[in-house]
Amino acid sequence: MSYGSTIKVPLGPQHPALKEPGNFLFEVDGETVVDVKPRIGYNHRGVEKAFELRTYIQNIYLAERICGICSDAHTTCYTQAIEELLGVEAPPRARYIRVIIAELERIQSHALWVGIAAHEIGFDTLFMYVWRDRETVLDLFEMISGNRIHYAMNTIGGVRRDIHAAMVPKIKKGLDFLEKRLKYYLDVVQTEQTILKRAAGVGVLKPKDAVDLCALGPTLRASGINNDVRADDPYAAYDEVPFNVITHDGCDVSSRMLVRCEEMLESIKAIGYALDHMPEGVIRVRVPMKVPKGEVVSRVEAPRGELIHYAKSNGTTKPERYKVRSPTLGNIPALCKMLLGGYVADIPIVLAGIDPCFSCMDRMAFVDVKKNKGWNWTMQQLRRKYAKK
Amino acid sequence: MSLFKWARTKSPWIIHFNTGGCNGCDIELVAALTPRFDLERFGILLEGSPRHSDMLAVTGPVTLQVKDRLVRIYEQMPEPKHVIAIGTCAISGAPFQECYNVHGGIDTVLLVDAYVPGCPPKPEAIIDGIAKLIQKIKEGEGHGKRK
Amino acid sequence: MEKENEIVKKLKNFLKENLVRTTVPKERRIFVYIKKDALKDAVKYLVKDLEFKHLSTITGVDLGGEIEVIYHMAYKGSIVLSIRLTVSEKNPSVPTITDLIPGAVLYEREVHDLFGVNFEGHPDLSPLVLPEGWPQGVYPLRKEHKLEHLREMTSKK
Repeated sequence: MSYGSTIKVPLGPQHPALKEPGNFLFEVDGETVVDVKPRIGYNHRGVEKAFELRTYIQNIYLAERICGICSDAHTTCYTQAIEELLGVEAPPRARYIRVIIAELERIQSHALWVGIAAHEIGFDTLFMYVWRDRETVLDLFEMISGNRIHYAMNTIGGVRRDIHAAMVPKIKKGLDFLEKRLKYYLDVVQTEQTILKRAAGVGVLKPKDAVDLCALGPTLRASGINNDVRADDPYAAYDEVPFNVITHDGCDVSSRMLVRCEEMLESIKAIGYALDHMPEGVIRVRVPMKVPKGEVVSRVEAPRGELIHYAKSNGTTKPERYKVRSPTLGNIPALCKMLLGGYVADIPIVLAGIDPCFSCMDRMAFVDVKKNKGWNWTMQQLRRKYAKK
Repeated sequence: MSLFKWARTKSPWIIHFNTGGCNGCDIELVAALTPRFDLERFGILLEGSPRHSDMLAVTGPVTLQVKDRLVRIYEQMPEPKHVIAIGTCAISGAPFQECYNVHGGIDTVLLVDAYVPGCPPKPEAIIDGIAKLIQKIKEGEGHGKRK
Repeated sequence: MEKENEIVKKLKNFLKENLVRTTVPKERRIFVYIKKDALKDAVKYLVKDLEFKHLSTITGVDLGGEIEVIYHMAYKGSIVLSIRLTVSEKNPSVPTITDLIPGAVLYEREVHDLFGVNFEGHPDLSPLVLPEGWPQGVYPLRKEHKLEHLREMTSKK
């Protein structure tokens, strides 16, 4: 079954259970997945149209709320785009602060994910431990920005708040604590049998498929492809702050776990460097309200992968067109490929493996092609059914 | 009335549903379960099935795609049932109020008993909101009905 | 800018008069305007000969009377080349590139949903982001649809 072809499965009188739309339609033959059709739209709010109706400053707050887990990635991408349209550059200190916040967000997002992945496998102890430690990052965010989520640090022309010298020792203390914990979790992920049995060899995505299907982020890097927007297309201060791009050759879910764990450790190093080398100076420059005509493509490496915005301005205070492509959408074709030929029991962990917005992936519709029956499951039900395996 | 006393008499089981939000509120609700905040010590359980839940915790601005499912979940809950709207999106839809695929706040679809403002509200605020709702129920108010 | 200029030169030689215009606004950004009929040849050349194997996304833009379709492709994750063409609003139709880049499958569906562009040869243009019951023929991101009308229409559901 190739991802390019389709099978029309009759929905309707024969399958009353499928009247409501799911997020994925699985065709199964017994315990094996034979086809996957994504049907998203659950989270489609119509944000791109709303962008055109608001001023550039108002849109920062809209961009932030496209996603609660990588809100800083969206605002960094957005403010960069508008700065380029305006022909201004954020001052050096602001660029370093952007790196620090972005890397803190990466740690927060990956830690959240490790917890969720552990929960998917049934390893709730690990989930609780990781989320408790993740609170350290959220405390740092609260200290720096005033909020645990949606930190509103970026603005057009720089950042809104400074990281004062008094904060630095506290941040470093938090990072030291995190480093110890993350090294421990990295060890757990590599040696704990519960995890290895459920994640190794599962959800395989070969390098050629990863490239053809335009996979992104840790999903791509866990198939050995060395691509990371921070290194390939540097923005903010990433051309000055050293870090390693983490890749693994395993191509499976456990490799994706390793990539994310090691990326967190790299982020800690990068933040430490940025704090030590942060240039003095202003944190923002003033910008006009009207943006001259132009267009721009802006990219950042969000925790889930390449985030790309396209902006077109028309000389007024509101954008002509603003396009956002979140990384989760970019990974869905690769996700479908990974699920094909796999077991139904593995669906939750493979889905989790690409780190999707977790509530988007809650609902799944199933059709058994041989038995000709259909049913709906939530992730919870699917997990419960296969938990004892 | 202390929360501990209440928990000894009745432990609310909460079903959580996201109607298209950014996940910020959902993460803070899940964080409320983790050791630092530990919602479960009050006997409050995050349950998966509407048929066993007393409370529906809703986040998000109700996208059109999801509205019917929200109502269906509500209808599957046994009475007495209550709705708590978590986050600014659940209260009014903002900042997605003007989006074409968004309904608005939860109270355009269901009758809501408690609102927890914030973007997102901190876990402490969510716990406080739940506690206040429990208090309200104890005093005999706030029986949620479909609009 | 050396690599960027080299890419532009090679594209010009390959596409000849089908290449309408190019701009290189800054390092790692190239914008190329082509004639619609040259799309598949251009994408094939970019993927196979110039190693632009990654498609970041496809953007639709309503220019008024015409719809612009922009393909954002990346060279080794680094240089972003946005190759663009316009189609008439009355009959917006473009050949699919999913046979060359399988990863384009959802991006084309999204542009179809929001702008009504038909991608000939696409395996499955069923709705991707719009909810069930969304009226046919209403493409929300087209400028002709004001937000108030869309909300009026959806609140009647």
